[in-house]
Amino acid sequence: MRHWSILFAMAAVGAVGAFVYAYFSPDWWLPNPPGDFHHSVSRFGREIDKLFFIILAITGAVFVGTQVVLVWAMHRFADETDSQGNPVRKADYFHGSQRLEVIWTIIPAGILVFIALYQMGTWAEIKYRSAAPKVPPLAEVTARQFQWVIRYPGPDAKLNTVDDLVVVDDLHFTRDRMALIYLRSSDVLHSFFLPQLRVKQDAVPGLTIPVWFDADRAGDYELVCAELCGWGHYKMRGKVYVHETEEQLRQWIDEKLAEQNRSRLTMTTAPNGR
Amino acid sequence: MVSRFRPARRLGLIGLLFASAGCSDWLSYDPGSLRYIEAEAMTRDLGPKPNLHGKPKLQAKVRETMARLYGPDPQFIRVPKGAPLMLGGRYLASHLREGDGQNARDRRIYEGDSFQDPKLRPQSGGYTVYRRNCLHCHGVTGAGDGPTAAFFFPRPRDFRRGIFKFTSTPTGARPHRDDLRRTIVKGLDGTSMPAFEPILSPSEIEQVVDYVIFLSLRGETELALIEEASISEEGDNDALGEDIVQEIVSGVFTRWKSAQAQVVNPAVARTEPTRESILRGRDLFLASDCKDCHGRLAKGDGASFVETKISDEIIFGGDPSKMADRVAALPEKVQALWKQKLDEWGNPLRPANLNRGKETTYKGGRRPIDIYWRIAKGINGAQMPGHYPSPFDDRKMWDIVNFVLALPYEPELLTEAPVAPTAGAPAVADARPR
Ligand code: HEC
Ligand code: HEC
Ligand SMILES: [Cu+2]
Repeated sequence: MRHWSILFAMAAVGAVGAFVYAYFSPDWWLPNPPGDFHHSVSRFGREIDKLFFIILAITGAVFVGTQVVLVWAMHRFADETDSQGNPVRKADYFHGSQRLEVIWTIIPAGILVFIALYQMGTWAEIKYRSAAPKVPPLAEVTARQFQWVIRYPGPDAKLNTVDDLVVVDDLHFTRDRMALIYLRSSDVLHSFFLPQLRVKQDAVPGLTIPVWFDADRAGDYELVCAELCGWGHYKMRGKVYVHETEEQLRQWIDEKLAEQNRSRLTMTTAPNGR
Repeated sequence: MVSRFRPARRLGLIGLLFASAGCSDWLSYDPGSLRYIEAEAMTRDLGPKPNLHGKPKLQAKVRETMARLYGPDPQFIRVPKGAPLMLGGRYLASHLREGDGQNARDRRIYEGDSFQDPKLRPQSGGYTVYRRNCLHCHGVTGAGDGPTAAFFFPRPRDFRRGIFKFTSTPTGARPHRDDLRRTIVKGLDGTSMPAFEPILSPSEIEQVVDYVIFLSLRGETELALIEEASISEEGDNDALGEDIVQEIVSGVFTRWKSAQAQVVNPAVARTEPTRESILRGRDLFLASDCKDCHGRLAKGDGASFVETKISDEIIFGGDPSKMADRVAALPEKVQALWKQKLDEWGNPLRPANLNRGKETTYKGGRRPIDIYWRIAKGINGAQMPGHYPSPFDDRKMWDIVNFVLALPYEPELLTEAPVAPTAGAPAVADARPR
């Protein structure tokens, strides 16, 4: 049955084709700005993507190689019968090959060690506390079922004072500046995930975890929870907005603060009360 | 040549797999018919409270009137003329039933967010937004009895009486539309009521505000009809005549409409939150009734409510449906107090902890005006009384607001306060600063 080899060849071609197609489709590609979907907006995003591609190249090469061998073997050694219906070839039996086993253990192990060593710098830069940028914190983000409570320092530039701005599900920062947040949880495990910025960090009850990230493009992004945290997990989303300049961020905070400090209505009877 | 599998069938299977993955829009979700749940008073004997127990004819009349006014079930919505809803209720659903009997027909009224391509979005409008986002807590009828409701403290609101806690209107009045919008957009901090700002578009929020009002109007009308019918004789054919029904409906609508023009705006501007003002506020807190409910340290453990430890045990100490058993196991005196301190809807209630450091939450919002409204007009249905114009005048109102807002960051305001000797105040030994 040589046809089987064709089917498997098609599956392999289809799988490779999906990756080729993905490269040209914003829907299939990594989460990036829709207009320029090959551009990863954050510094860590670019580094992580680089690692991703290295791993993709390695696994891709291995995949293509093994598929070629597989399909070739299926084709070459397909079961053939003579006119009487008897097998043409005799099957061979041999009890393993130590040399082969050593080879196919050492090569992947070597690759894994390479990847493990190669990514260490990126990991350290993104996760090690010692690498945290020496900047004043942008905000403290507290996850709770099922929302992100975000506390920005007020005019005194200090967190956890009476003039802080407290908003829900609304994260703002400035372009081209490392933003530092402190991540907490007030109930269960959550995970702070900025897909476009390739940042993901679990929020652990009882811990305050610094997380930092940047973006080189202003605009709207997404914040989602990436740890199943209860029935409302799917709607635990927030908006992320990256401002062009620090003044714009300041202005947004000031506007929000003005609303938070509202002590009277200006127009009592405006139709929408605003 | 023997073949065990047909490649063609294999291929077909693979094709199916591809087709079903990621293409869920192909399958449109049909929730089936939902049905309103009747008010208890329709059939149950509620003792002194108006009810139609044992009066099947009047019950039928109320049911028929309700179906005529608001539609027979949530799928077919009708809105009486003059309802306080946007465009007479057009945003409630994608279908509105108009006309009666043979002339009744469904009219497609509002489609989607964009007003474009109606066929792509057959399910839209307040009813749909509600069904998707609110129903599992607030229930089909808005009775606060959705399938998840039992697991929350506080319980989701029952809209059917038109009573809302976080309002900007005078004590006891219906809420302003903005109040409901604020609740939905920002959520009720510290409760399970979520903030819908990131999930719903502004137009969806308006639609669902309408639907909440619709459920309130419907529930209020139902109760009023039952009350009216309950004073009639079972055999009275003229009971619930057209005039009376009209009167009841317009009474319900008027209460909502008049509230829209009664928003309370503080008469004088906020006093700067200076030390003096905060200290004056502190003294007001200790000298007035606040501490009886909220406690000497404002930790929500005032002596006029059941002890926090006991109420924790009742509320969180096991199966929510067995709460009554846990109450029954209390000493009689505590039981009596517990029953006295239920909220307007019969659910457990406890005063807010206003002194939890930066974790302090305010359900109704943390703006000074929100706190002002809470203290000035009280919290409807939650026993917290209003304090304006008496005992607090304009100036005192802002002093106490300033104090409430400062307290979480300066707990020493209370721990170091001179002890005012009042009955039931907890001992000073409890005064541990955080
Ligand atoms: C997870 C459950 C849950 C969901 C989902 C939910 N609510 Fe609520 N809601 C609550 C609870 C709990 C309260 C009452 C809190 C309290 O009494 O302190 C409440 C209260 C309210 C109130 C009354 C506020 C007041 O001033 O008294 C309104 C209005 C409301 N919800 C509207 C909605 C709407 C509209 C939706 C859907 C878009 C929704 N809720 C979804 C749990 C929920
Ligand atoms: C009869 C008891 C009672 C008295 C007196 C009382 N409160 Fe309350 N208060 C409550 C209850 C109960 C709640 C919680 C309502 C809820 O969560 O639904 C509350 C809630 C509050 C809240 C929180 C509102 C929010 O948005 O979450 C504030 C602030 C507050 N009270 C301040 C005061 C102040 C200041 C005084 C004195 C001037 C006072 N209360 C007097 C019972 C009382
Ligand atoms: Cu979560």
